[in-house]
Parts: sequence; C-alpha cells; structure tokens
Amino acid sequence: MAILRGRFNSERAAWGAGLGAVLAFILILTVAGASGVTFDHTLRTVTMGGALLGLVTGVLGSFAVLRRQSLLGDALSHAALPGVVIAFIVQGRALSALLIGAAIASLTAMAFISALTRTTKIKQDAAQGITLAAWFAFGLILLSYVQGRPDAGQAGLDKFIFGQAAALVQSDVLLIVGVGALVCLIVALFWKEFKLLTFDPEFAAANGFPVRFLDSLLSSLIVAAIVLGLQLAGVILMVGLLIAPAVAARQWTQSLGVMVLLSGAFGAFAGSTGAVLSGVDVNMPTGPLMIVAACAVVLVSVLFAPGRGIVWTVMSRRRERQAVGRPSLGGVQPVMVKRSADDGQ
Amino acid sequence: MDQVLVSLALNFFSADQINAFMSDPRSVATLVGALVAISGALLGTFLFLRQMSLTTDAISHTILLGIVVMFLVMTAGFGLEPDMSSPLLILGAAAAGLLTVMLTETIQRTGLVKADAALGLAFPLLFAISIILVSRYADNVHLDVDSVTVGEIGIAWANTRSVCLEGCESVIITPDSPQAEVARVCANCVAENISPRSPSAVFVENCSNCGTYTAAQAYANGLSETTPTLVFLPKAALTMGIITLINLLFVGLLYKELKLATFDAALARALGLRPGLLHYALMALVSVTAVGAFDAVGAILVVAFFIVPPATAYLLTQRLSRMLLLGALFGALGAYTGYDLARGNLLGLVDMNRVLGWLDGVVGLGGYTTWNVSISASMVMMMFVFLLLAWVFAPRQGLIAGMIRRRSQAVRFTDQIVLRHVANHQGHADESIELAVNTLHEHFRWSASRLGWTLRRLRALNLVHIEDGLVRLTERGTNAVMSLD
Repeated sequence: MAILRGRFNSERAAWGAGLGAVLAFILILTVAGASGVTFDHTLRTVTMGGALLGLVTGVLGSFAVLRRQSLLGDALSHAALPGVVIAFIVQGRALSALLIGAAIASLTAMAFISALTRTTKIKQDAAQGITLAAWFAFGLILLSYVQGRPDAGQAGLDKFIFGQAAALVQSDVLLIVGVGALVCLIVALFWKEFKLLTFDPEFAAANGFPVRFLDSLLSSLIVAAIVLGLQLAGVILMVGLLIAPAVAARQWTQSLGVMVLLSGAFGAFAGSTGAVLSGVDVNMPTGPLMIVAACAVVLVSVLFAPGRGIVWTVMSRRRERQAVGRPSLGGVQPVMVKRSADDGQ
Repeated sequence: MDQVLVSLALNFFSADQINAFMSDPRSVATLVGALVAISGALLGTFLFLRQMSLTTDAISHTILLGIVVMFLVMTAGFGLEPDMSSPLLILGAAAAGLLTVMLTETIQRTGLVKADAALGLAFPLLFAISIILVSRYADNVHLDVDSVTVGEIGIAWANTRSVCLEGCESVIITPDSPQAEVARVCANCVAENISPRSPSAVFVENCSNCGTYTAAQAYANGLSETTPTLVFLPKAALTMGIITLINLLFVGLLYKELKLATFDAALARALGLRPGLLHYALMALVSVTAVGAFDAVGAILVVAFFIVPPATAYLLTQRLSRMLLLGALFGALGAYTGYDLARGNLLGLVDMNRVLGWLDGVVGLGGYTTWNVSISASMVMMMFVFLLLAWVFAPRQGLIAGMIRRRSQAVRFTDQIVLRHVANHQGHADESIELAVNTLHEHFRWSASRLGWTLRRLRALNLVHIEDGLVRLTERGTNAVMSLD
C-alpha cells in the first residue's frame, strides 16, 4: 500500500488539478461563446465578482472544513438577515451599510453560539441550528415590518435571501477585491497560528497562543466572506460555496498550504463558471449554478483524485489482489508452521 | 382519516363549536403552529440527542426539490392540473428528504468527507438544483420567496375542507320531484327563426334544476329539508393533525426502542432492535413532518420547530420522557404567544406598536409604526425567548444557578482554607504569629476585608471564636475539620 501511495507526487497532483480547472474553464468559455453567449459588461462584472468571491470563500472554507465547522457558515449566513434589514431601516439602500449590518448580525450570532456551547451542555450543532433559526426569524419579522411600509423603497431587499448576481456593479467587485485582499493578508500573517489552531487547538492553547482570539478572528474572516457573497449567492447557498471547493481540494493533497491554494482556485473556477453559464439563458440564476459547478468539482475530485479518490482506491486494491494472487484471503498469506520434535518439551 | 379525526373531536365538542373555532384565524393559526411544534418537538428531541439537529435544516431545504420535480412531472409529464396540496407532491417531497439523508450518508461512507461537510455539500446542491428548475421551467409556480421562507399560517383558516356528519345523502332531483322547477320552452324557435306564438312551435318540458346535489349544495339551494351537519376543517390543520397523530404513535409505540437506539446504538443492535431501520423511519417521519409544515411556516423556519423547544426542555430536565413533554409544551406555548407577538403583544407585557413609536422618535422610521409582522417568524421568536429564559433561570443548568453554585463553592473553599490553617497552627509555638486576628490575612495573601468577611461567617456558624486576639476553633469547628479528612 505504501509503495502504491508513494507512486504519485501529491504536489504534482494538485498542480494537475489546478491546471485541469483552468482548462475546464477555458473549455466552458469556448462552448459558451460558441453557443451565443455575449460577454457584455454585466456578465464580465459578474464573472469577475464570482471568481474573486470563490477565491476568498475557497481559502477560508479550507479551515472551516478541516476544523469540522462546515455548517457554521450556514448558520452565520442565515444570521446576517436581521442586520441587513436593520441597516436598511436606519440607513436606506446604501450597500456598504447593508453589508456592515450583515456583518454585525453574523458576529453577534457567532458570539451567541460560542456562549451557548460554553455555558450549557447544548452541543455545537444544536447551538448553530437555534441561532440560525432565531436570527433568521428575527430578520423575517423585521422584513415583514418593512414590507408592510407604504414606501416602495424596500423592493429587492429579499434578494438577499436568494442572491441576485445581475445587480452586481463594478464598485461591488472592487469591494470584493479590497476585502478579499485583506482576508488573504490576514490568513498569510496568521498562517502558523491558524494551522496550529486547525490541527491541534489543545497544543496551541498549552503553548500560550490566544486560542479564543484566533478562533474568533478566523470566524470573523468567514463572516466577511459570507457577507461579500450574500449579494451573489444569497444566504441559503453561501454555505455550499464555502465548503465545496475545500472538500474538493482536500482530496488532492495532504498539505494545508497546497489545499488552501487549490481550494481558492476551485472556488474561483466555480464562481466564474456559474456566472458564465448563467449567461446562456436569462432564466438561469447565477448563485445556484455556482453551487452546481462547485459540486461538479467535488464529484470529479472524489472520484479521480490520486491516492484518495474512489477510482484510485478501487484500482489499487485490485492491483494488490493480483499481486498477492489470493483474493479470497484479502492479501494475507497463510504461513505454514513446522513443528519440530523437541518443541514444547 | 378526516372522518375519524372529526368523530374523535365530536366526543368533546359540538359541530358548531368546532366550526366557530375553525373559522377564527387566530385559533387556526395557533392550532396549526402548535401541531407543527408538537410533532417537531417529538422527533426533534431524538435528533437533538443524536446530535443530528442540522439534518432537519438540510431536509427542510431539499423538500423543495421534491415538490418542484413532482410538480414538473405532474404538469409536463401527465398534463395534470397543478395542485399544490396533492398527495403526490407530499410523497415526492418526503422522498427528497430521505434522499438528502441517504446522499449525506453515502458521501460520508466513502470516508473522504466528514459528516458536517457531507451535509453542507448535499443540501446546497439539491437546493440549488431546485432553484434552477423553478426559474427555468416553472416560473409560474407559486414558489416565491414567501412560500420558502415564511409560509402562510395566517391564512390557513381560509383553506378548508368540509366533512359531513348527518343528513349527508346526496339529493337527486328528477323532473318528477316536487322541488323540480319545470318550464316549458320552445324547442325549435331559434333554429327555425319563428315566434313561440306561431302554431308550428314545438314545446318541451325543461327541468332547470335537475341533477345530483351534495347535501350541502341541496341545502344551500333550498332543495332539501334536512340540515346537513357539516364540519369545516382547515386543510393545514387536518394535515398537521394527522402527521402529529402518526408521530405520537411512532414515539409512543417505539419509545423504548428509540431511547435505547439513541443512547446506546451498539446495545440496541446487540439486542436485535435494528437501530438502522429505526433511524430511517425517524428520518422519513422528519421529512413528512417538514413537508406538512412547509406550507404553514416555510422551509427555513421549520428547523426552529424541531430544535428550539427540545433544546429549551434539555436545559430544564435530564429525563427523556420529561424532555419530550416539556419540548411539546414549550413549542405549543411558543405558537400561542407567537400569534400575539405578530399582532404586537409581547407576552401581554410590551406593546410593540409603542416600541415602534419610541424607535420612530429615536432613529426615525418614517412615521410607520404599525407592528403587523410574520406570524410563523413570531412563533419562532417566542420559542427562542423561552429558550433564553430557560438558559438564564433553569434551576440546575441556568446561568444564575451556575453563578450561585460557583459563588457557594468559592465560599466553602475559603472557609475550609481558614479552618484548616487554624487547625494546623492551633496549640503550636507559632500560633501567636500565625493566628493573630489582625495579621491573619497576610498568611493567605488575601485582602483584610475578605478575611474579615470569612471570619464573621465562621463565627456566626460557631466554627471559630476569638481569644486574646487569636483565632481558635470551637468544638464544632474541630469536628468540621475532622470531617474534611
């Protein structure tokens, strides 16, 4: 087994996967171009935004997946709703205000989850579910209040639930670039700490790293990525964009650095592919297409990644059987024991 | 099935009482909310204990896929009239829920993806596919944001089905019946363009109201003397009532098995109880319940009805049976008080319209201060309020109880340190240094006031007394120190 595992180079496989994603994207671009998609200004903006958003969520999703906090993203993205609506009530339609409101709401939800799990016996999953439901319900209450108002200015506020990529403008893309660069910078600065936190939080705590601060910092970065994605993918689907690229990248490598880079590449692929595909037909929603593209990458990775993938495992098991030649014993060679006359005397 | 439910209900109430109750929006919304909450709490308790709470979230999202696919098959495949309450839709939705569970477990079983990530992959994918299908093929379907997120519990009372109890025979009116309205009409006047008075006109007897009538129609048209006794049941209440009954039966009959499979799956398997089968039965019921609740409270809020009341109950008790009861109770209570909150009345304490009025003065709401908000979201909010109350005030696990416990532990620990110190030095040569009242606090590196409080307490408890400026144990104190060892 060890020999078979050793036959591939993990880093080379990851490079191959990244290259494959780029080639697949070029192929999709060509096919879309051939089937009559016009790359007008809107579509270019959305594609750009989708790619950058996917990059950021891919990078952060790696940590969430490895720390088994995949569904934290789900809870935090639903929890953003009341913040969006309150910001709207107080400040009107300004996008920056809505995003700040979303971030504050998600951060309070994060604090509540952590308080609930620390002071009671309620487990992480239930705490996330409770918070998700309570914050979202509060958001819906506020939303129904706003929708009852006679002014029509609130139209489109519910787009945050499902996302509306077509509304993306160039300044939004610039915002994604800015926040995304900041997020990547922080990840690079705290690389060692985040790595330790991910793989051995007890060891980190014992060595005097401020584990709770790092935990909050990492979760806050996830909140930032979610808030950026609300407009594109909506609160319900954000979690898929966070998790899928990371799960796919995990299959190709054993190294955190390679995984984070690859996950970012897969995320960018899913984001831009979803946007390009949505250009095929007016009725195709961008957010869901991004999720489908990301899940397609997961499927390919789970099947074909060397070393871990299902196809690889099946093939190497078969090769092993052939090498041993006795499939019925599962590779265990019976050993004949010879007893000599003076044994046991 | 509805006949059974109605005859059951008629043992306690008269038909008029039921009709009066069921035509009131408030009571119907409360009833439907409470039924969703009770069936949610019954199943949610087990999900909570198995740490599978978020599976509900996944299922409630993906039933949308089942509904959309069945809808498309019905309309495009068979050309049927689209009907959102068709049992086929419910079956398809429940199947999609089960599919989610199975997909998640298949992903998990490859060993390549952890449980939480598997869930986080499966339901966004299925949800995304259903959104794509809706926007691509079924734009006219009534599956807008509201039906996914909020539900329509407020108008559940308006969508009813009648159940007939007495005088239900359908009435057939023939031309010979006394009620028949027979008129002579000219058969060939129009065709031959002649006047009815002309001699060639042919007349026939035509019965204008002949035909078959149901009892209700016949009574409404004055064709029948007997008043049929009808009970009008809101469809949502009927569906949720049946689902609640099934859940009650499931938990009631399989209580022991569920308990064992939840707390010790290995033992359950060893005893031949098939925990795997039980697991899928539970998941199937969760799917069916989520589908039933979908119309009333929306896909996303369903999760609250499953998780929040059991979590509240969990803070208050350690016993499974009590947890089930309390969960159902808090769920129903949340539904009841939630309706009031939607209309602006928070537990009879706060008038939300006034809060809005006050907020209008502070941040400016544009003068719109009418609080009339989503009913299902308000119900969830009240359940959450009860959870918060339980979190703070629970007798054992609550924040206040925890604070008191830590405080009393600290006090007991302080007392023991002082008593032990006195016992160690009493009667020894250094006692004038170690036990002097004025300097005792320095030996513990405490503040003088902390020691003062402790000494006052110990003296009040008659554990120490002060002699010549030295602290000494009383007889009671000596016994107390002995009992520490």
